[in-house]
Amino acid sequence: MKFSLKLLLWTIIVMAIALGFSGFYFVNYVFETSLAREARQALDENSILCFAFETAALNVPAKYDVLQDNTVEQIAANLERSGQSAGRMLRLSDEEKRALYASDGFEPDDELLGQIDEATKAYRTICLNGYYYIQTGSAVNALDRVLYLETLRDVSEVFNERALGFRVYRRVTVVMLVFGTVIMHLIASWLTKPIRLLTRATKRMAEGDYDYRARQISSDELGQLTLDFNQMAEALEENINKLEDEIQAKEDFVGAFAHELKTPLTAIIGYADMLRSRKLDEEKSFLSANYIYTEGKRLETMSIRLLDIMVTRHGQAQFQDVTAESLFLYLKDMFKTNEDMESVYSMEFVYSYDKAMVWAESSMIITVLINLLDNACKASEPGAVIEVSGKKEEAGYRFSVKDHGIGMPKSEIQKITKAFYMIDKSRSRSHNGAGLGLSLCTEILSLHNSSLEVESILGEGTKVSFVLEDRMEAGNEEIHH
Amino acid sequence: MIKILIVDDEKPICDLIDLNLSASGYRCTCVQNGLDAIDLIEKENYDLILLDIMLPGADGYDVMEYVRPLKIPVIFITAKHEVRDRVKGLKLGADDYLVKPFDVVELVARVEAVLRRYNKADKMLTVGNIVVDVEARRVLKNGKEIVLTNKEFGLLVLFMQNKNVALFREALYEKVWGDEYFGDSRTLDLHVQRLRKKLGWEQNLVAVYKVGYRLEVTE
Repeated sequence: MKFSLKLLLWTIIVMAIALGFSGFYFVNYVFETSLAREARQALDENSILCFAFETAALNVPAKYDVLQDNTVEQIAANLERSGQSAGRMLRLSDEEKRALYASDGFEPDDELLGQIDEATKAYRTICLNGYYYIQTGSAVNALDRVLYLETLRDVSEVFNERALGFRVYRRVTVVMLVFGTVIMHLIASWLTKPIRLLTRATKRMAEGDYDYRARQISSDELGQLTLDFNQMAEALEENINKLEDEIQAKEDFVGAFAHELKTPLTAIIGYADMLRSRKLDEEKSFLSANYIYTEGKRLETMSIRLLDIMVTRHGQAQFQDVTAESLFLYLKDMFKTNEDMESVYSMEFVYSYDKAMVWAESSMIITVLINLLDNACKASEPGAVIEVSGKKEEAGYRFSVKDHGIGMPKSEIQKITKAFYMIDKSRSRSHNGAGLGLSLCTEILSLHNSSLEVESILGEGTKVSFVLEDRMEAGNEEIHH
Repeated sequence: MIKILIVDDEKPICDLIDLNLSASGYRCTCVQNGLDAIDLIEKENYDLILLDIMLPGADGYDVMEYVRPLKIPVIFITAKHEVRDRVKGLKLGADDYLVKPFDVVELVARVEAVLRRYNKADKMLTVGNIVVDVEARRVLKNGKEIVLTNKEFGLLVLFMQNKNVALFREALYEKVWGDEYFGDSRTLDLHVQRLRKKLGWEQNLVAVYKVGYRLEVTE
């Protein structure tokens, strides 16, 4: 059952009970007050009649000392007639409670008569032939006799009023309940709207629409819940996006890996197949064997690089303070400006660096720098200048490698750190590249909480740099104190 | 002579295909990127294009878009193994699909099959005094018809398409019988013996130790 419906139903039940009780109590109270008033009047009338009877009895000629039964009847009939307009009904009984006179239609039983004596008055409410009466009874002392006078007063009106009251009240209650239902329905659906919105958002999210958010329409607890839910959804969406990106990256990697793996494998299998099944002349045999060798080498390079990346990703680096100078000296030794233009590294290397102490794993950082220099060489013409520099900055110590080579368009910059990505394959292949160098650099730098920054202009050159934590100041302080 | 254009950015693969198809009597041209391929297709008439998908310049799908109106048969060569990649290639109008790494025999067979579909393959295979009409499934020796069973005919065509190539028992069995080879069957040897006898090829169909058979032809 829906929450709003439950709310509505319970409200209506409570409202119906409350209205019912209060209505019943009210109508009954009015009824009882009226009945009491009628009873009081009935008793008053009874007293008046008693008095009237006694007066009449005194006025009887004195020749009789004893009040005759027929005289009593006479007086009673007179009394009844005098009150004709009020519809008065009375009964007179003698000492033995035998009826001496009774009006037409005076038919109640003698229960009340049995209850009264000389000293007590009594009354009761009775129902005769569908009419309600208040029956009163009292003793009358006339001359020497004790008679009992009973009256009947028609109070059907009071009862009818009560019935009418109930009827009217029932109608009012039904109308009130109908109105109440409509209003409560509106209120309930207004109150539960945040819940419905939340439910919809949950469903949408379950269906995979992760950027859907619940609309916040109130500032109460439900509004707070919506707010919290949206925050949760935000966090969830972020995680899911991250996961999706990771999966995409993995798929890309697997795809690229399969391609890079299958190409040399096809060559190796194909040439080996030719060698074993065809009679080839010497030249073709050499060509085939050479391809098998070079493609095998390519596989080897690739697997070593992949291993490096995996080791970096899972390995623990041994961080220590390293002087920037030692790193640059190592590079200087490796990449010398070579006069021999035939050599692989025949570029002009220009080194400039500030003194600094960086927090790093030195062999890893050297790998990164070698890769960057290697790339710079591949992008440059023989004899071109490659600038290698180290500079102190606010953020730390910046290593940068700048070439004046072919550069690359902006769209390529995002992709170059992806595994197996090569801008110019044939060129990279001829330099025995596997497209994994910058991937490795990225892994190493992320271990150092750093990343590659690439600026490049097509045709003018590329500058690749990264920042490491500078420990020089801390080091100096220790030395000075 | 049938001219085939090979488009692959990997030179070793290009050379591999070139060597094998040339040995089967096709004239091959190699090109290493998509844009050059389109230039060449514009200038020359090719009977078949072998097209790699991952290419610098224009990729295989782009080249395919260009080739389709020319009605030149195309076989895609790719490392992508996924069904959706294959479907994409075939939907674009490729005639066949070759997944790296591939067997040389498979390459030759697929090339033959596609060319035959376009009625470009030599319908008549000739070795010495034996002439085979592949379409009509007739074998003539010195102009006289020789009756062969289905399997024998299949074997003969395979040998004639791969002259001087040692064909492995597995490959022969899989191509002709279409079953997995389990290595214990004498069926193949029996059929080869029947072929030798019927064609008088006792000297030409040579058993290669531990490999299979080779049709030796002196040209």
